[in-house]
Amino acid sequence: MATALPPEAAPVPLIHRRRFRDFATQGVYVAITALVFAYVLVSLDLREFGFTFLNEPAAFNVANQWLVDVDGVTNSRITMYMVGVWSSVRAVMVAIALSTIVGVVVGVARLSNNWLIARLAMLFVEIFRNTPLLVQVVLVYSVFLVGMPLIENVISIGDIVFVSNRGVAIPWPVPNSGLWGAPHWFAGLWVLALLISAVVAMRARARRQELERETGVSQNANRRALILFAAGAVISYVVLGAPVWIDAPIVSGTHYAEGMTIEPEFAALVIGLTLYTGSFIAEVVRAGIQALPRGQTEAANAVGLSAYQRLTLVILPQALRQIIPSVTNQYLNVNKNSSLAYAVLYDDLFRVATIVQNKAGHALEMFFVIIVTYMAISFLLSAVMNFFNSRVTVHEV
Amino acid sequence: MAAGMPAQPQQRRIVLPPHRQRAGRPWSVKAREWVRRNLFPSRSGTILTFVALAIIGVLLAGMIWFVFIDADWRVITANRWLLFAGAFPREEAWRLWVSMAFVFTLIGLTYGTWSSLGGKDHFFIAVAGVFVVFLMAHGGAALWSSLWFVVAIGMLYAGYYATVWMPRETSARRTLQVRIVGGLLIAALPIALMLLLAFGGGQMRRLDGFVLNLVLAPVGIAGGLVVAIPLAIGRASSMKAISWTCTTYIEVVRGAPLLGWLFVALFILDDVFPGELIVRAMVVMAVFTGAYMAESIRGALQALPRGQYEAAHSVGLTRLQALRLIILPQALRISIPPIVGQAIAIWKDTTLVTVILPLRELKGNADAAIAQFEFTPFRLEAYVFVALVFWAVAFMMSRISQRLERTLGVGER
Repeated sequence: MATALPPEAAPVPLIHRRRFRDFATQGVYVAITALVFAYVLVSLDLREFGFTFLNEPAAFNVANQWLVDVDGVTNSRITMYMVGVWSSVRAVMVAIALSTIVGVVVGVARLSNNWLIARLAMLFVEIFRNTPLLVQVVLVYSVFLVGMPLIENVISIGDIVFVSNRGVAIPWPVPNSGLWGAPHWFAGLWVLALLISAVVAMRARARRQELERETGVSQNANRRALILFAAGAVISYVVLGAPVWIDAPIVSGTHYAEGMTIEPEFAALVIGLTLYTGSFIAEVVRAGIQALPRGQTEAANAVGLSAYQRLTLVILPQALRQIIPSVTNQYLNVNKNSSLAYAVLYDDLFRVATIVQNKAGHALEMFFVIIVTYMAISFLLSAVMNFFNSRVTVHEV
Repeated sequence: MAAGMPAQPQQRRIVLPPHRQRAGRPWSVKAREWVRRNLFPSRSGTILTFVALAIIGVLLAGMIWFVFIDADWRVITANRWLLFAGAFPREEAWRLWVSMAFVFTLIGLTYGTWSSLGGKDHFFIAVAGVFVVFLMAHGGAALWSSLWFVVAIGMLYAGYYATVWMPRETSARRTLQVRIVGGLLIAALPIALMLLLAFGGGQMRRLDGFVLNLVLAPVGIAGGLVVAIPLAIGRASSMKAISWTCTTYIEVVRGAPLLGWLFVALFILDDVFPGELIVRAMVVMAVFTGAYMAESIRGALQALPRGQYEAAHSVGLTRLQALRLIILPQALRISIPPIVGQAIAIWKDTTLVTVILPLRELKGNADAAIAQFEFTPFRLEAYVFVALVFWAVAFMMSRISQRLERTLGVGER
């Protein structure tokens, strides 16, 4: 008997075929999206869309300039905007550095065996994480405005640091004509020499550490590297004829001169960002450490490491694997949150952009410029952090 | 024992005090031991303790000096209505009280149905209650409003004790209770908004002060969830057109700060859909939060084991059914902690509407309070008060989220 052939499968109707349905769904979806998009485009008035207005003279000034000196009469709007970008980047860099330090210290302190320290760290986190950043920034600003003395009654700390409601003045290195009247760009040469000695010292350190691993004989890698770096710095400093000198600030009349002035606006923004982001980073660090198996701590104790060695050699390097991605996110938040400079009238990129919009209109173009700038900075930050991540993280196997 | 087995080495006997004996020691001994272990374990530990004590001493002294000696809190007490409701019409104030009582009742019902109030909660409510009543009744001008707050807290407890005694086991009655309270929770926002605004009462643009924060945040959170769920599913979709647009949307929205998007609300959105500025601000907040929440939900979707999708497919569920019955319930449960984190963030971010929009929430009205000539020196007091209010609500939210995680068993199966 011949085996019965399976009945001819009925053709699946088109409407039930997965590929057709996916295709149709996407078609309908694209049509609707396009309609919405078209509606938005039509309702925006795009006849005057263009970026040429950015090249016109600014006709406003930008405060909080550092290392640049531009005025609104001769410079274009885009120049002023770039000065704002530089102000933002400065605040973001300082805030990132400080908040990382605060975050790691507080995060580790939260896990301290010392009950008081752990509670203090928890208090810090709970206070600053649960308060709006805007309120923190204006609070710090208010401390400067009403809590600090007028510049006539400036608080002087050993005539080196001055504190008043005009900000904090601190000593700062400046280019100097030096021993034999060197031009100012010698200062740049010296910075270059510093960088080179740092690189050489780091490489020497890596080589010594390698040797230490191979032979088991201590090579004092850190000390040697430090000596190498110091030697490089001192020798180049002497050879270039003391091209950099530290300038102490002075109070002249109603403002600071010489040295460096940290304006209340900058300080308020950076301190606010540091405390707020620091509390988040602390939580990230804590979670990263807690995610490690307990055996790591116990093993470190078993081989007789000190508490500090345990933390820096065993716990943190491994915890970094989990910490870095979240911390990168926090850095991106710092970048975006720096726009709160607006509230304390620090002339960052966002505030300068709104001033330009106020003067020239073109809100859409200005928003376009803003979002592109923020995305570019974010992209740079995450690129740096990804590089760091690939270099620093401990990889098993 | 078989001969030839090596003899077991003699174990050193470690004598531990019997457990009962340890537990039965007088508390003074236990306290001393605790102090030694937690505060003075070693020399460095002792130094740390003293450093901490010094920090605490300085902070505490500074705080007491500021709060009770240096600060002048009249800037708060004289402007309490401005801070609370600002331009909201006084004769419509009953709407605020009724909505408050409604929300508090709902909180009580929710706690009674799914959780319970512990000693710490009663303490927190008592402290907040005394603080608010003291603030409102100070000087006697607004005794009525403080009475309303007491009524609202009474409603909270009424709702709580009406439900907490009911058995939690699954039964027809329990199901009904859960449905009623759940339905009320979902409908809470429209009901509260209606109580505030219906029949030409308080108009949308009169929402002001702390009331504006209290309206903006829930609208942003609810709207954000509505935006986020389809976005997350869309981004995870295998259909390229959908996943690409959703990804672009999420990344663009996350690319600019909220201030930037509020700038859009003020200057650009007006052309697209004209209307009240406050509504545009709400839309922007929902759209903004939605992008962040979508990322949390996407993380949860990815965290689900593939077997869940395959199992749903193999029992013959369609894609939509699988999503609705298998995937989303689990994914949403996993993503509760980050979503609550986002909710707290949007609560704090409601302050930003003040910065560039001509809307004044609590912080904006604090600015207005210190703009009055007699109160200009009291900036610090005003902002400390604002910080305290925001902190209390955000802290409460984070505590509730921790409890929610425990109740719903996030991270367990």
